[in-house]
Amino acid sequence: MNTSSLSVALVSLFAALIAVFGLIPKIDLPLGVPITLQTLGVMLAGCMLGPKRALQALLLFLAAVALGLPLLSGGRGGLGVFFSPASGYLIGWPVGALVTGWVMNLLPTHAPRSAAISAFMASALGGLLVVHVFGVVGLVNIANLSWEQAIMGTLVFVPGDLIKCALCATVVHTVARGLPDWRLGG
Amino acid sequence: MKSLYSEQPTWLHAVPAYAKLAILALLGTGLFFTDQLIALSVSSLVCIGLFASLGRVTANAKPLLMGLGFASVLIAAFHLWMQHPVLAAITVLRLVSTTLMGIALTLTTRYSDLLHVFEHVLSPLNRLGISSERLALQLALMLRFTEHFFILWRRLDDAHRLRTGKAGGFKILAPLTIQMLVSARHVADTLHVRLRR
Repeated sequence: MNTSSLSVALVSLFAALIAVFGLIPKIDLPLGVPITLQTLGVMLAGCMLGPKRALQALLLFLAAVALGLPLLSGGRGGLGVFFSPASGYLIGWPVGALVTGWVMNLLPTHAPRSAAISAFMASALGGLLVVHVFGVVGLVNIANLSWEQAIMGTLVFVPGDLIKCALCATVVHTVARGLPDWRLGG
Repeated sequence: MKSLYSEQPTWLHAVPAYAKLAILALLGTGLFFTDQLIALSVSSLVCIGLFASLGRVTANAKPLLMGLGFASVLIAAFHLWMQHPVLAAITVLRLVSTTLMGIALTLTTRYSDLLHVFEHVLSPLNRLGISSERLALQLALMLRFTEHFFILWRRLDDAHRLRTGKAGGFKILAPLTIQMLVSARHVADTLHVRLRR
């Protein structure tokens, strides 16, 4: 298969999947904890596509949002969202996907179980840590919070994001079993 | 997938997309570097007036305006609670100005016009081997498949509900992802045949 065509298709379709994650209503986990899925899309992009394509998929998704399409959860879109206090998180998504893909690429993925463990570690580093660092920088600069206040504010979302890392690992495990020829991490 | 753009004409529709983007970029940068309450107040009043002058078109942005209102109240309440009233005013005024102008641009600029500006801005990347022309194709594919995957998700959810009596929730994420990856391979084959690359 031609890699250029495959890249175009994977980047576009994964951006579409992230958009669908914004349309799906919040999911209630067994303990009644509600979560939205778009940051899970960031983690999955890195684990499934590898660093370069994951970065491109997230940039494409954010370009569509900037062009005015209401693709963020809650039907938000347009250039206005890039000036909101949460814009740091949005800008962190492509970088988070890149780091997730890069880490996934370095870790073992030969068996479903090792792929799942690698996916958890990669998404915790890229999809959680990197995105939250960007989010904190955004909160400090746009909401004028102090570093301590911004870090305390972002810590509230960390337990939910850790659950997303576990979900990402579960999905990667299933994909590794269902599509054994898929090259995880690009 | 419907854009937030409004077909109802306003005076801002007549302003070229590149000019609106340039003004937004200058405004965002300028406001970021000033802490003067007077300048920020004047800027906010001008932006609110400009946004209000768009008339009924602004009704399309109700969810976005509600989000802006919620964020402003939250940030102001937090800074007031921390005994920083000036900081609360600066932050909210800055947020209101830039966000309202971003929404105004989105409401009055066609998707295709913004895309044209984006392609033009990204054209220097062609020298690095990144094709700006590819952006339009990828956006078209993305929009086509957003609807497709949403319908697929609903089918998977319905099937799961029929089998178990409960919503699919996170259990259908893996099948949805696998379907996406398989679809990507089919689309890649089709693109390869059609585009010969």
